[in-house]
Amino acid sequence: MSALWLLPLALAVPLLLAAISALPVIRDRSLSLAILAPLPGLAAAFLAPRGEVLVLPDLVLGVTLALSEAGALFLGGASFLWLMAGIYSRFYMRGKDRAGNFALFWNLCLAGNLGVFIAADAITFYVAFALVSLMAFPLVIHDRSAKALKAGVAYIVLAVIGEAALLAGLILSSGAAGGVADISALADAIWLSADRPLILTLLITGFGIKAGLVPLHIWLPVAHPAAPVPASAVLSGAIVKAGIFGLIAFLPLGDSLPATGNTLMTLGFLGAFGAALYGLTQDDPKAVLAYSTVSQMGLIIGTVGAGLAAGLEAALVIMAVTIYALHHGLAKGALFLGVGAMAAASGAAARRQRLILALVALSVAGLPLTGGALAKLALKAPLDGVSEMLITASAFTTLLLLAHFLSLLKPESTGESRAPVMRSLPVAALSLAALALPWTIWNLSGLPLDYTWRQDNLLTAGVPLLLAAIVASVAGRLAFKLPHAPQGDLLALVYTFSRRIALPTQRHISKAGVTLTQLIRLRPLRHADWLKQFADRSEGTLAAALPTLLVTLILALALLAL
Amino acid sequence: MSAEILIPILLLLAPLIPAVASALLAGHSNWRNTVNIAFALFKLALVTYALAGVASGAEYEWRIAFVPGLDMVLRLDALALLFVTLSGVLWTATTLYAIAYLKGTPHQARFFAFFNLCVVAASGIAMSGSLITFFVFYELLTLATWPLVVHTGSAKAMAAGRTYLAYTLAGSAALLAGIVWLESGAGPVEFALGADLSSFSPAAASLIFALLIGGLGAKSALIPLHPWLPAAMAAPAPVSALLHAVAVVKAGAFGVVRVIYDVYGIETVAALGLGIPLAALASATIIYGSLQALRQSDIKKRLAYSTVSQVSYIILGASLAGPFAVIGGLVHLVHQGLMKITLFFGAGVLAERANITGIAQMDGIGRRMPVTLAAFSIASLGMIGVPPVAGFVSKWYLGMGGYQSGANWVIGVLIISSLLNAAYFLPMLYRAWLKPAAETLPSRQQLAASRTWLLILPGAFTAAAALGAGLFAGFELSPLGWATLIAERIYLR
Repeated sequence: MSALWLLPLALAVPLLLAAISALPVIRDRSLSLAILAPLPGLAAAFLAPRGEVLVLPDLVLGVTLALSEAGALFLGGASFLWLMAGIYSRFYMRGKDRAGNFALFWNLCLAGNLGVFIAADAITFYVAFALVSLMAFPLVIHDRSAKALKAGVAYIVLAVIGEAALLAGLILSSGAAGGVADISALADAIWLSADRPLILTLLITGFGIKAGLVPLHIWLPVAHPAAPVPASAVLSGAIVKAGIFGLIAFLPLGDSLPATGNTLMTLGFLGAFGAALYGLTQDDPKAVLAYSTVSQMGLIIGTVGAGLAAGLEAALVIMAVTIYALHHGLAKGALFLGVGAMAAASGAAARRQRLILALVALSVAGLPLTGGALAKLALKAPLDGVSEMLITASAFTTLLLLAHFLSLLKPESTGESRAPVMRSLPVAALSLAALALPWTIWNLSGLPLDYTWRQDNLLTAGVPLLLAAIVASVAGRLAFKLPHAPQGDLLALVYTFSRRIALPTQRHISKAGVTLTQLIRLRPLRHADWLKQFADRSEGTLAAALPTLLVTLILALALLAL
Repeated sequence: MSAEILIPILLLLAPLIPAVASALLAGHSNWRNTVNIAFALFKLALVTYALAGVASGAEYEWRIAFVPGLDMVLRLDALALLFVTLSGVLWTATTLYAIAYLKGTPHQARFFAFFNLCVVAASGIAMSGSLITFFVFYELLTLATWPLVVHTGSAKAMAAGRTYLAYTLAGSAALLAGIVWLESGAGPVEFALGADLSSFSPAAASLIFALLIGGLGAKSALIPLHPWLPAAMAAPAPVSALLHAVAVVKAGAFGVVRVIYDVYGIETVAALGLGIPLAALASATIIYGSLQALRQSDIKKRLAYSTVSQVSYIILGASLAGPFAVIGGLVHLVHQGLMKITLFFGAGVLAERANITGIAQMDGIGRRMPVTLAAFSIASLGMIGVPPVAGFVSKWYLGMGGYQSGANWVIGVLIISSLLNAAYFLPMLYRAWLKPAAETLPSRQQLAASRTWLLILPGAFTAAAALGAGLFAGFELSPLGWATLIAERIYLR
């Protein structure tokens, strides 16, 4: 038995745990069991052979699983984060309601998330992607607060639109590949297809919604903070990566597509800087982190776009993006869990916690010789010109944003000064992994080890950080007050629009259906009433008169025929 | 070998005997229920036997002269068996459900007699080997369903019954006219051989096709022939389940499939240029049904418009020539049945146990009736096309079929339909699971006291089947596996 069998196990174990978590006997323990769920995935990331395909022909439309080099890093990082967040959730959910519910959707979402990284065909990929998308909804709204529900609605509307776009894109590209759905065959088929612009638009929309591509990111800054802390950590650390992975797996990298590439690059860097600046207006630390996620994903998307525009070799772009995504996942997971840990800590534990988080934040910003700096070097390596400069400059805004984040962390005075291990271990382990892991996988980047401490690299990484530190400390000294803006930037505009314009016009339309339909009915159709009456009246007329007409017509026809 | 000739007859008798017995056993409800369940199980056993036989290439045929020169032919091929299996499985589930649902209400003998007669007709339609046999059973179905639609006897039900009869009889007239015209030139048409259209001009052949499809479209609720279906939701829940999932709309859709594949043949339909207009009409029905469903505030009415929309998937698949589309349409015949019957079972349970008929009343019901609502949710997600529930499989094949036929707009129709489905199903789930329960909702204790598992389990079973049909679609005997077998036989002929 080869280690290839770890791949189906990585999906089967969480699914099985989800299935049995509904049993009354298991229900109360299901959250403890959920800790085990990501273990086969983690083992697979280390042990499963790369590139071999496992076929399970009887499941769905023939499930095929395989692990690529990049997929293994995504899988390993995500499994580790899910594991740590799972341990943390034992602490977090203590004494809270509906822990069994949480465990059920946690496991389903986990299975989908890991499935995305090991699917070898478009259908399996889509099944996994839909699972992680839709099962994240119950995690987002777990608290049932008004804020969480509102965020959940925004999330699910965009998730459904994303799924629809993705399905259309995948059908078109599988069709273009002659009915074959192998992911490795699709990129070429997309490149050759006559529908290429349409397919690319659909796929980028589907993946972009998940990955927080501006302007499709609007759900992210409201949904990530609304979820319980461990769920926020996996949403920001692992689930957004499903979108990134989709982009690098399906886009025809290696071919030069200037229009698509430049659009993607523009939107990516717009998000990278725009979200970081907008995040400064937030006063909820989790919202700040969510904006930081949009910003960091913007850098990745910008890089993918630049690579696509220039037709850079696929393997280079993919590995650069993968190392960066791995570091971001671990670091962002640590930061989100840290928010929860800080809220429950005081005294020495709080000080220790803050120190760790500060170090992780510096790593994300790219402090030389940290894991984050390596990730950033790897990301920049294939690029040149403007995009490389923008990534360098982004360290400035990233550090400002994370300094703002650190200043918002207020330890609870009533919290425990001795941290329970369920709380401190996950943060510490994720932080350590974020700082150290890029060193251990540096050889995958194809760059020499001394590249990391070359003088010019240290300089370009250090200068923006120094500037940011000066600005931050001056602002702190002067007690500079940041402006405040609503959480969910463009989404707030949508809400305003629906309140001011769409809702009054649709007041006459039937009262059935709740917020979701309201969002979907945003089109301010004044003649909707008229349409409705027309439909009703014509159906009424049909019901009364049509049969008679039909019979007459048929009899006439029959006479003619005979 | 001689015993095997009996299989089509036995498949007809299996529901016919309980139909007669139900009428005779009025007042002996226990006996009647036993007979009903026993024969439903007997039919399932027969179906299993026949599945094994047909899979290995056997075809069972039984014929008798109807009038000289015109044979009644019962023929069990792979396509027939698809429909027979569907009706057999869902009939068993519905029988159990109906026993619990109608317990203690009047006129049960009448109900079960006609209910079984409907299944006789549906089995007959499935197994018909010639157009005229098909028509006889088709008419039987029209008439046997009417007493079920008006079962409650309320003014609304009677009005619905009148609308139903007006549409279906008009449809039957069109169908008959089409058949007579066709057979006047082509002689008696048997499905195994197809019709010889050489004596018709293309225009006449097209007109006959329009008559046949128009007649069948009345039952399968193609616009503009659909208004009877939403009206018929006045019928009791088991009848709605039967109308929407097992017998009536399915009979229409199945007829369309037969006409395209086994009367005209895929090539002829394509040569006459009839496929694309029909696909366009089916697409219009898909979108229109979804839009109307979105506007409804009554659960059953929303589900009814949803059927209008979903049944046209089958017709869409049949009208787009190409193996993927053929498979997608055929497999949706089964998938739509499994999902829609779950939804109607759920709607019936809600109305019966918690007195909920409007969507606005569903607030907070999920945690009070978790099994029913979990089944309802799975079926809803399947209708939207969320994998791995069965609806996704249909959608993928239809989309690929659209691509293969060079009709990319079909993918757009499917996507818009998915989005509309999400827009009308997800708010129901949102209300049921996430809104706080209303004061008027029966408490958990009250519900526990009135719980009848016979009412709850059929829905749970069909939901599990819908999930299983998607999750294990790759198996040889899954609905998809069977539809693939049929498509292979159609294309190899």
